Amino acid sequence: MEITFEHVTHSYDVNSPTANLGLDDVSFTIKDKLFTAIVGQTGSGKSTLVRHINALLKPTSGSIKVGDRLLTPETNNKNLKPLRKKIGMVFQFPESQLFEETVEKDIMFGPMNFGATEEEARTSAHKMIQLVGLDESYLKKSPFDLSGGQMRRVAIAGVLASDPETIILDEPTAGLDPVGRKEIMDLFKQLQAEGKTIILITHNMDDVANYADEMAVIHRGKLVAHGLPQEVFNNQELLKDNLLTLPQSAEFAQDLAQKDFKFDQLPITIAELGAKIKQQLSGETNG
Amino acid sequence: MEKIISIKDLNYTYPDSQNAAIDHLTLDIYKNEWLSIVGKNGSGKSTLTKLIDGLIEADSGTIAVDGQVINEKNIWNARTKIGIIFQNPDHQFVGATVEDDVAFGLENQGMPREQMLKEVDHALKLVKMADFKKRDPQSLSGGQKQRVAIAGVLATRPQIVIMDESTSMLDPDGRKTVLDLIQQLRKEQDLTIISITHDIEETELSQRIVVLNSGKIVKDGKPDVIYNLGADLQEYGLDEPFTSKLMSVLGKQLKLPDGYLSEGELKNQLWKLHSNM
Repeated sequence: MEITFEHVTHSYDVNSPTANLGLDDVSFTIKDKLFTAIVGQTGSGKSTLVRHINALLKPTSGSIKVGDRLLTPETNNKNLKPLRKKIGMVFQFPESQLFEETVEKDIMFGPMNFGATEEEARTSAHKMIQLVGLDESYLKKSPFDLSGGQMRRVAIAGVLASDPETIILDEPTAGLDPVGRKEIMDLFKQLQAEGKTIILITHNMDDVANYADEMAVIHRGKLVAHGLPQEVFNNQELLKDNLLTLPQSAEFAQDLAQKDFKFDQLPITIAELGAKIKQQLSGETNG
Repeated sequence: MEKIISIKDLNYTYPDSQNAAIDHLTLDIYKNEWLSIVGKNGSGKSTLTKLIDGLIEADSGTIAVDGQVINEKNIWNARTKIGIIFQNPDHQFVGATVEDDVAFGLENQGMPREQMLKEVDHALKLVKMADFKKRDPQSLSGGQKQRVAIAGVLATRPQIVIMDESTSMLDPDGRKTVLDLIQQLRKEQDLTIISITHDIEETELSQRIVVLNSGKIVKDGKPDVIYNLGADLQEYGLDEPFTSKLMSVLGKQLKLPDGYLSEGELKNQLWKLHSNM
């Protein structure tokens, strides 16, 4: 689903003279079926931004167009269900949202809340548990007997079970081990290939470089950059002002460039970095 | 070297589980050492921490803390020697101000108020958060919150600090600040640090790394020995260090030395190759 922010400002306390701006005049479009990463320091406004997409927060001024739905300061809380069904949201530490006595019931809760029959919800639960890499025997367990990584997967399955068109992920892999993280990130990439729009909030710049099609950088409530990761990570002004940290490969290239090596564009993945180093170490001997 | 924690043939299985979470584990931890315990989710890292802190009781085997084998009677005494910093600082705050929060552990110990205020100031100074003592903890950044949590732990004057994935929620700057601070405190306060993580890059400041898998120690060595395992680390759910990934992309035709290279060493090798062209 395409999502367009038009001059969105969000003030946490409208009456205060030193109004605390969570978002400050943000305008940009999150494109349909792309994988968009949202980055920025802790407290920069990333979470505030995405909470406007399913109307958990409403703009103080400006508007957000989500598919064919327009959200404005006047939007009331009635009739938000159709919107929220289309937008699945996985919060930080989603395992804290688990509450049912079995994993199956927990995953079924979402679809049933959005009007699915028990039968449909159960079918969905059986499908989703496998999609997140757990076998069906987990459905009968209590979510509280699972490890942190398994709980995370169950919580993600619960969001996927309502078959949302757009999936918003707020640091979904924090605390997962590297193998678990890669499996979950690959799952999101696979969901994108199946036609979903993915919006990922993350601190991990390597995940941005490896998975995202586009990225947006938020700083003190303002959108300071939006574009291809390759371009944004090469935006000298952002780097100069320390508004962005680099993926490991780009940082390594930047260090190498202090002597002998030259990079017109900083490589952002290990494959690119390796290729560019090899090129420079062989190129000159050949020519 | 003096042992501060000595674990012998420890076993623990969670109720209703068929597999041992800790399986015949024996480990000595030395005074003033920075030991990293790494392993994937479910490898037994957190269970081991809970056993050391006496939050759960082992099925068999012993744990000695500072020379004393812990049992039901002396566990409270052993616990005063251990401070734990958890993953998510938000779950650790109880006070309305930073200073109340740091004082919490001391109130629990029944310390007189006057002495407590001194200890709190001292601890906040150590973590460079003295200027924030009247602030609401929730208004702080992630890195600042974790520093306050560290102050709360330090105030109780532990000999051993366990970091249970304490930097995994922080952004790269916050993480670096916290790790550097812990290193400095380890030296100045003669602390023993046990850090639990699954991020191999976080272990670079430690002196020894223990790799845990299915409740057993599968590797125990200095960081460069462990990093040298390269892609084999994936078998234990860990990521391969950045430099070894890059070296496998670079391939054998570049004449790089065998074995693990730190980032600095790899850069020097690449500059050397460049200037020899």
